[in-house]
Amino acid sequence: MKTPSPFVSSEPLVVENLSKLFGKRTALRDVSFKIPAGRVVGLLGRNGAGKTTLLDLACGLLLPTAGEIRTLGCAARELESAQLNRLGVVRQEPRFLDWMTVRQQLEFTASFYPHWDHALEKRLTEMLELDGARRIVQLSQGDQQKLSILLGVCHRPSLLLMDEPMSALDPIIRARMLDVLLERLRDDGCTVVVSSHLLADVEKIIDWVVCLDAGELAVSASFDELQESYAEWTLHSATGTLPETFSETCVLSHEGTTKLARMRVCAADTASEAERFASMYRAEVKSRALSLDEMFPLLLKRRERRAKS
Amino acid sequence: MLLVIDHHNGVPAYRQIMEQVKFQVASGVLAPGTELPSTRALSAELSLNPMTISKAYGLLEREGVLERRRGQTLTVREQHADDLHEQKLEPLRRHLATAATMARQLGVSPTQAIKLFRETLDSTSK
Repeated sequence: MKTPSPFVSSEPLVVENLSKLFGKRTALRDVSFKIPAGRVVGLLGRNGAGKTTLLDLACGLLLPTAGEIRTLGCAARELESAQLNRLGVVRQEPRFLDWMTVRQQLEFTASFYPHWDHALEKRLTEMLELDGARRIVQLSQGDQQKLSILLGVCHRPSLLLMDEPMSALDPIIRARMLDVLLERLRDDGCTVVVSSHLLADVEKIIDWVVCLDAGELAVSASFDELQESYAEWTLHSATGTLPETFSETCVLSHEGTTKLARMRVCAADTASEAERFASMYRAEVKSRALSLDEMFPLLLKRRERRAKS
Repeated sequence: MLLVIDHHNGVPAYRQIMEQVKFQVASGVLAPGTELPSTRALSAELSLNPMTISKAYGLLEREGVLERRRGQTLTVREQHADDLHEQKLEPLRRHLATAATMARQLGVSPTQAIKLFRETLDSTSK
């Protein structure tokens, strides 16, 4: 039953100096990063940041203007059935043969894959509450997303690329879908790349973050590392001697008075940096970790700061 | 093993697991020799990436809280009395540091604060 994938590349997705232009418009500019195998990657960015372009390049639907993208060890422009059999794709605007029923579409797609897992298909159809007898043309947007997910995972890929797969799903189904992804990871060591604006949802399962901003790479790092390097501090000075502004590079934003200040910071070791601030400004420093929602704007700022320096 | 992970408080999940396991070992909820759920089982139970679980388990093993026996099963290690004592004090110290900061900010004197802590201990032990 639980055959591990025959070959797991140590880095199923490698992006090197990748650029993509549409006419004069730059969608991606000189992006480089590597995704280690077995990760669940949150691909984050604002609208128009280049997430969809990146995923389309990864599965060979678009060709790079410059640079290279390697998917499952193979240049994405040259993917063949050996790689495509191990690649799962869930697109933002899925295309179906919409005169078919859900079941017919599943059978049709399954016929292209030698390792389609019918037991998994049956279980996921029930778990995601999808009615196999319905015609695709009649499906709600949410049900279309569910079908798209089924079509992307039932051949048990070793790399799964998902573009906003949950935007139309209700919270109950979203939670189940996250469990489905984790199950694929446990059973098959499947690397998952998921782009989403639902940060509170993806935050539960991701362990790597790739953040794009206006076509450029803002961050590619382990999620633990990011959580440990961003914090919100509340500085309390009994003597009222806090400065009006803080020039330290670790301070990303700041508000408050000379007695009480609140700031968002980024430092390799926030705990020792907090101690340094406490002794330097003779203040009590209370530190709080940030959720992904709170961290996201700061990740974007990181690129702005880099561009300025 | 009952663990509760807050996915949105910004504290890495592996740290939350470590802290809760350590607390349960220190308080005796997890007795020495208790077998821990497998990485796979705990990953399914908590809806967490298995890598997160193995990171937490690996660090707890390195810190001597857990030990791997007969190849695979991970169990709670017998703790030295001194270590156990320190493990009991450590989370308490962290909580009291927050309370101490608050006392200073509010201008509550050390004598008053200690009196309050003693009263609180008395009232909760009834």
